[in-house]
Amino acid sequence: MRETPLTNCEKDFVKKSVAENRRIDGRQPYDTRKAKITFGVDRGSCQVQLGQTRVFAQVSCEVAEPKPSRPSDGILFVNLELSPMACPSFEAGRLSDYGVELNRLLERCLKESRCLDTESLCITTGEKVWSIRVDVHVLNHDGNIIDAASIAAISVLAHFRRPDVTVSGTEITIHPIEERDPVPLSVHHMPLCVTFAFFEQGKYLVVDPTDLEEKVMDGKMVIGMNKHREICTLQITGDIQLEKDQVLRCSNIAVVKVTEMTELIHKALDNDRQVRASGGKFGFAESISIEKVTSNQMKGSEINMEDAEEQASALVLSDQDSETPSDTIEDEETVVHVLNKGVGSIGQGGASQWTIDEEEAEKMQTEVKFKMTRTKSAHKNLPTATDGDLGDNSEEEETIVLGQDMKIISQQERQNSQKMQTKTGDVKMKKGKKYMKK
Amino acid sequence: MAVDIRVAGARERPKPEVSEELNNLVTPGDVITSDTGYLRGHGTYMDDDKLLASVAGVVERVNKLICVKALRTRYNGEVGDVVIGRILQVGMRRWLVETHSKLNSILMLSSVNLPGGELRRRSEEDEKMMRMYLKEGDLISAEVHSVFADGSLSLHTRSLKYGKLGQGTLVQVSPSLIKRRKTHFHNLPCGVSIILGNNGFVWIYPTAMEKTEKTGGYETDLQPVTSADREAIARLRNCVLALAHHRMLLFDTSILYTYEASQKFSAKYIPKPEVMTEIIEIARGRLEREGT
Repeated sequence: MRETPLTNCEKDFVKKSVAENRRIDGRQPYDTRKAKITFGVDRGSCQVQLGQTRVFAQVSCEVAEPKPSRPSDGILFVNLELSPMACPSFEAGRLSDYGVELNRLLERCLKESRCLDTESLCITTGEKVWSIRVDVHVLNHDGNIIDAASIAAISVLAHFRRPDVTVSGTEITIHPIEERDPVPLSVHHMPLCVTFAFFEQGKYLVVDPTDLEEKVMDGKMVIGMNKHREICTLQITGDIQLEKDQVLRCSNIAVVKVTEMTELIHKALDNDRQVRASGGKFGFAESISIEKVTSNQMKGSEINMEDAEEQASALVLSDQDSETPSDTIEDEETVVHVLNKGVGSIGQGGASQWTIDEEEAEKMQTEVKFKMTRTKSAHKNLPTATDGDLGDNSEEEETIVLGQDMKIISQQERQNSQKMQTKTGDVKMKKGKKYMKK
Repeated sequence: MAVDIRVAGARERPKPEVSEELNNLVTPGDVITSDTGYLRGHGTYMDDDKLLASVAGVVERVNKLICVKALRTRYNGEVGDVVIGRILQVGMRRWLVETHSKLNSILMLSSVNLPGGELRRRSEEDEKMMRMYLKEGDLISAEVHSVFADGSLSLHTRSLKYGKLGQGTLVQVSPSLIKRRKTHFHNLPCGVSIILGNNGFVWIYPTAMEKTEKTGGYETDLQPVTSADREAIARLRNCVLALAHHRMLLFDTSILYTYEASQKFSAKYIPKPEVMTEIIEIARGRLEREGT
């Protein structure tokens, strides 16, 4: 199925936000999404979630003949599948250009970095070796498949256990799992990929782009690296020109991300090992939380409130200079009005902020400057609930869990900024400082 | 500052009144008839000696022809339809236009008015200047000129009322909800005009932005839109979405009645389910009373 094209407004909005160092989902430009790794019951299967992007990886092994040029090396085969389940624009069966690119990247990252010791996979030289096959299936595509796929592939190689083999003379015995414990593969290091998306010919960059950012970006760079600061693969695609120092800077960022991610993978592997050793339940089913209201849950994310106070005070000052009377509704405490069953409202909206002074377009005089600063600040406050950065909202608030009669009593500190927000429109949602639900 | 809270839970959906057409509804695989005397139309297929439906929709019968009109489908173009599309690619003497149909539509260079309104043969210069007229991402209103053998549409903007669209709001609804009328360009009394594209794209824009005759529709008017107009456009957009949500046919009267019924609510509250139900009820009542 064809994808509906993005509108010009959406593209411009994403580009403008990136130019202001903000991202649509509230992250900072160098922030990656939190990864979640879960292992399955079978050895060598795992699912990785990077935001809404989900991939599933599985390792299988079989005995095969080695390549004639390398008689004592095992075979590693990496395969990435893109199906319409991930995104309606992916065709079933036929691998598109994008699919080929991802496949090659993953292959290079894993095979050429020699992360898996292929010599240990040899059973008898020239005749029988282990052939390890990693299959990665993309379950949902929300940008940055390659990062998630590389995490999944390496986690799954570390998780897998192959059957134990004894060679006595010309006889080879492959022990089934019941007889002898299976043996782990020898993974030397963990190469992981980090993707950088560039906008405006390489001027702005974001790490770990989402699907929307990928559609708007000019080009991207993928760095495959391990935590020992060894670059395993590097690829630049798209319409960008990068300087040497930019590439070096990106590789430094990549080191940090890769170190974090490697720790996360080790922690996940440890957890799984402990659970298996202690005899507890493990597998995919256990990782889904069933008791919550909605099992598809988004984790809260941090919001940058550093410049909130300065902006707030600036707005208060500019507003005091303006001539229009303020119609603020100062509420001492917020009371929830229950409108209907399951519906409530807090507070009343403020005045509409869509007024554009008609005179501005014609007169450019100094006396209009005040009005211009006022409208400028009004425009600044137009970000809607979907924008993560709240600008002038620097109040803190705690929300308490709903009671029987569905009243929410929230405490808020009265500050100057509070007066500001009731004035600047009813579009924003009150959010706590600590977390934001999307 | 207003915050709305809604508790996650089962919401009661109002049951629509049963209408006469419901006994004609079929789903894919349903047997329409076992009589072999009928001709097979769109949305049907033969299996053994039975005529089965291949899409979910309403069965229509014209003499011996049986076809199934799908409820949810991509736009199937017909000659003379007004469509709104987005330019996807600029190609050799043509533009590729996205119209939410099965294949992309084509706008030939020879089917557009040259800027300035000249009448002449298109030259090499014109080909190179194509991107100056329309580039990727632009929205246009056009009419279907013909349908190619594979089903893709050939569009033209040969009249001055068609061409590049300027400032406004685009709403995408299902093509089956747009009623076929004589004219799809309406100037509503609230100072806002609307173009109901047959492909389900609805374009809402302020009436004050009417293109002047001379430019031939390629210059976008970038005058700031007044706040009253913006609010009217936003309200109208929410009304269109409310109608689409309740699967009501979209035409100028239904949109206008919904708009008038929504006046007592603030524009931003219209997308709420209760408000939508209420204004649709009022609009539906008015439409039924006036026998439309």
